[in-house]
Amino acid sequence: MVFHLDKCIGCHTCSIACKNIWTDRKGAEYMWWNNVETKPGTGYPTKWEDQEIYKGGWEKKGKSVDLIGAGKVKGMARIFHNPNLPVMDNYYEPWTYKYSYLFDAPEGDDQPVARTISLVTGEPIDVKAGPNWDDDLSGSIDYARQDTNMETLTEAEKQTMFQLERMVMFYLPRICNHCLNPSCVASCPSGAIYKRGEDGIVLINQKRCRAWRMCVTACPYKKSYYNWNTGKSEKCILCYPRAETGQAPACMHTCVGRIRYLGVMLYDADRIEEVASCDTSDLVERQLGIYLDPFDPAVIAAAKKNGIADSTIDSAQASPVYKFVKKWGIALPLHPEFRTIPNLFYVPPLLPTMASANGELYDSTTDSLWGKPEETRLPLKYLASLFTAGDTEKIKEVLRKLQAVRLHRRDVTVGDLDKKEAKEAMKSSNIDGETADAIFRLTSLVKFDERFVIPAAHREEAIEMIENTADTKGDTGFGFLNEPKRGL
Amino acid sequence: MHNLAIVERDYTKIYEKFTLLGRNIKNGLGAHGNPYQCGDYYDMMLNNPDHTQKIDGEIFPSIKEDVEAVEAVLHLSTLTNGELSVRAYENAEKRTGLELKDLSEGSKDVKLTYKDLQAQPRRYNNSPLWSGLMNDGRAYSAYTYNTERLVPWRTLTGRQHFYLDHEGYIKFGEHLPTYKPSPKPEVYGELRKTVVEGDARVLNVLTPHGKWHIHSTYGDTLRMLTLSRGTEPCWLSEADAEEMGIKDNDYVEVHNDNGVYCTRACVSARIPKGVCIVYHSPERTYQLAKSQVRGGRRGGGHNSLTRVHLKPNLLVGGYGQFTYHFNYWGPVGVNRDTHVVVQKMSKVVIDEH
Repeated sequence: MVFHLDKCIGCHTCSIACKNIWTDRKGAEYMWWNNVETKPGTGYPTKWEDQEIYKGGWEKKGKSVDLIGAGKVKGMARIFHNPNLPVMDNYYEPWTYKYSYLFDAPEGDDQPVARTISLVTGEPIDVKAGPNWDDDLSGSIDYARQDTNMETLTEAEKQTMFQLERMVMFYLPRICNHCLNPSCVASCPSGAIYKRGEDGIVLINQKRCRAWRMCVTACPYKKSYYNWNTGKSEKCILCYPRAETGQAPACMHTCVGRIRYLGVMLYDADRIEEVASCDTSDLVERQLGIYLDPFDPAVIAAAKKNGIADSTIDSAQASPVYKFVKKWGIALPLHPEFRTIPNLFYVPPLLPTMASANGELYDSTTDSLWGKPEETRLPLKYLASLFTAGDTEKIKEVLRKLQAVRLHRRDVTVGDLDKKEAKEAMKSSNIDGETADAIFRLTSLVKFDERFVIPAAHREEAIEMIENTADTKGDTGFGFLNEPKRGL
Repeated sequence: MHNLAIVERDYTKIYEKFTLLGRNIKNGLGAHGNPYQCGDYYDMMLNNPDHTQKIDGEIFPSIKEDVEAVEAVLHLSTLTNGELSVRAYENAEKRTGLELKDLSEGSKDVKLTYKDLQAQPRRYNNSPLWSGLMNDGRAYSAYTYNTERLVPWRTLTGRQHFYLDHEGYIKFGEHLPTYKPSPKPEVYGELRKTVVEGDARVLNVLTPHGKWHIHSTYGDTLRMLTLSRGTEPCWLSEADAEEMGIKDNDYVEVHNDNGVYCTRACVSARIPKGVCIVYHSPERTYQLAKSQVRGGRRGGGHNSLTRVHLKPNLLVGGYGQFTYHFNYWGPVGVNRDTHVVVQKMSKVVIDEH
């Protein structure tokens, strides 16, 4: 999935859709499989990006990778006491209001009000945190200024970010990344988590889950949640019951800004280990290398040999995700340094950065339409910390491309620019007019069927992998009855 | 005094007037000088015995049920009834001397009903009652009717006005939209009796539209309260909060002579110093602390802090575009900008229960 961050208005409609369908249940109140964060901010659960605290994801170990806070040895040692587990205060204590008091209150001089009560204990609570507590820079001293991604900035750069005249924020929608190298799958002592062969969706088998919660620790994005009521862990299922019937995930379908794109990516599974364990500076490039060109005859032949359906290959060729990520190179993974090879990609925000200034004060009177990417309101280092494992050159390259598209379109539709400026911008970012038009078109004009391109689910094949279909019908939690081949 | 008429009303028939559609509809409908005839469509509504009412032996279309009211609007509006749109453009042609009827040609057969709208979203017709053109799937954009079809603006001159050539406006210095500084707190006179004690500060309070509640109670649902701060906070700048000894999420009282709002503070670098913001419009039904400055009584909402400052030049009228029309032109309360005292609450009491 691709998220175009310039288009996200932070309305949280995606979160609401997801919540209403999947987690409006006892024990799941605090779960937001889809959430939207304000950046800078500490997000949900708070400071989830800080693996010094949570020990999620992988670390490089020789030519392979090792789970930071879980795995066979570490996981076993901590199986009855896991110090790296987020607790309720890291998320928030879900609450409701004692609405009945509005009707039951004894007669008095004042209008009664419904006070907050915990959805966990039923007792009155003082609300101190929520799933979107730092929305729009709420509590900036305690949250936005504590954003982990600012650790690489100098004190002066940090201060500048919070000057009223230069301040900027943007929204970051998050769901499960359905990673190629999912640390949740690797960490599960019960073998309950698996990545579906047919579409790559990562699921927790609710029958096999034994509540060890190693996945909660291992997922560096903190997108696996423990349900205290059922005693099982749960996570985003990419609305697979919808996907199987040709419908987009609820978060995507409801997106007001139409920022989301979903499509097929073919990849070389044999290269996962070497990509996940490469040098940090190579992570983005190597990850992009794992996705294959769906027009390459060799790739098509290999896919067919592996039983990939023609319709899947067709979809891969029409994939909007392939265009953003591979063809145009303007969408980047979130925190690639976690080494899970995440499958969500973000087009970094251009507008808040480009409306920037020279010198100390905000000044929009630049000679050209936009300043240079280096003159961003958001330091490049900040964006690099989010999307390129610290590589500011890569961020600059993407921003330049996005800028070139705007300059080109400004030239086409308004024509008030120095022609040379648009041409030079295109040349230096290595895109031609046709590409710029295509990027513009997919960004701004296309309808739903070009943003959502997935093939039929081919359940007729997947279903053969399930031993007895009748047994799993109607169960909560789905999956293969065959135990995955693994073990200590 | 001119143009006054005596109207006789039968106040014993108020309920009937609310629940059925009267005969005046037969004279036609319209707005902004764009009338259209719809008597025949009114008569059609009398033919459906399931959705009419008989009063004193006379039959009227019923709008008693919600669906009946919706159907009546869709049936009689140019936006959803193509034939009426054609008629309105024919009238517009007569008034302007321009050719305009082509704008409704493609929608003559359009007739949207409630069932249609339940099934899927639909595009509505072009209509001279609105200023945007929507032919061929074009998105609505205001005043394209005026700029592209050269229909005069609804002003005295038929052009857009920045300069308001009216002696009332000239006298008030409002004839050009120019910058005027915000009045000082003393001018507002809303802090005459309010005491500023200890770390309390006088701030300018603004009550803009909230992120999730613009004239709706959507922001008061549990879901949206969960996605915000469980209440409607008072946003303070980091600098002001520090001076007042207020930390994020502390309870604060926001008050002046008009009233008091007790809520939690939301400290943010997004807010300029000297300003605080309470987004409108919270309900007074959840988690409001009792006011210390009002002797432990329950405070109000954000509107308690403001009062109507009537802008006098909005009272001028009967002249070109300044002519009164319900919901379009007339005196409004300019009540969204005043000064308050903000202070931390030392003892938070929500309720005794």
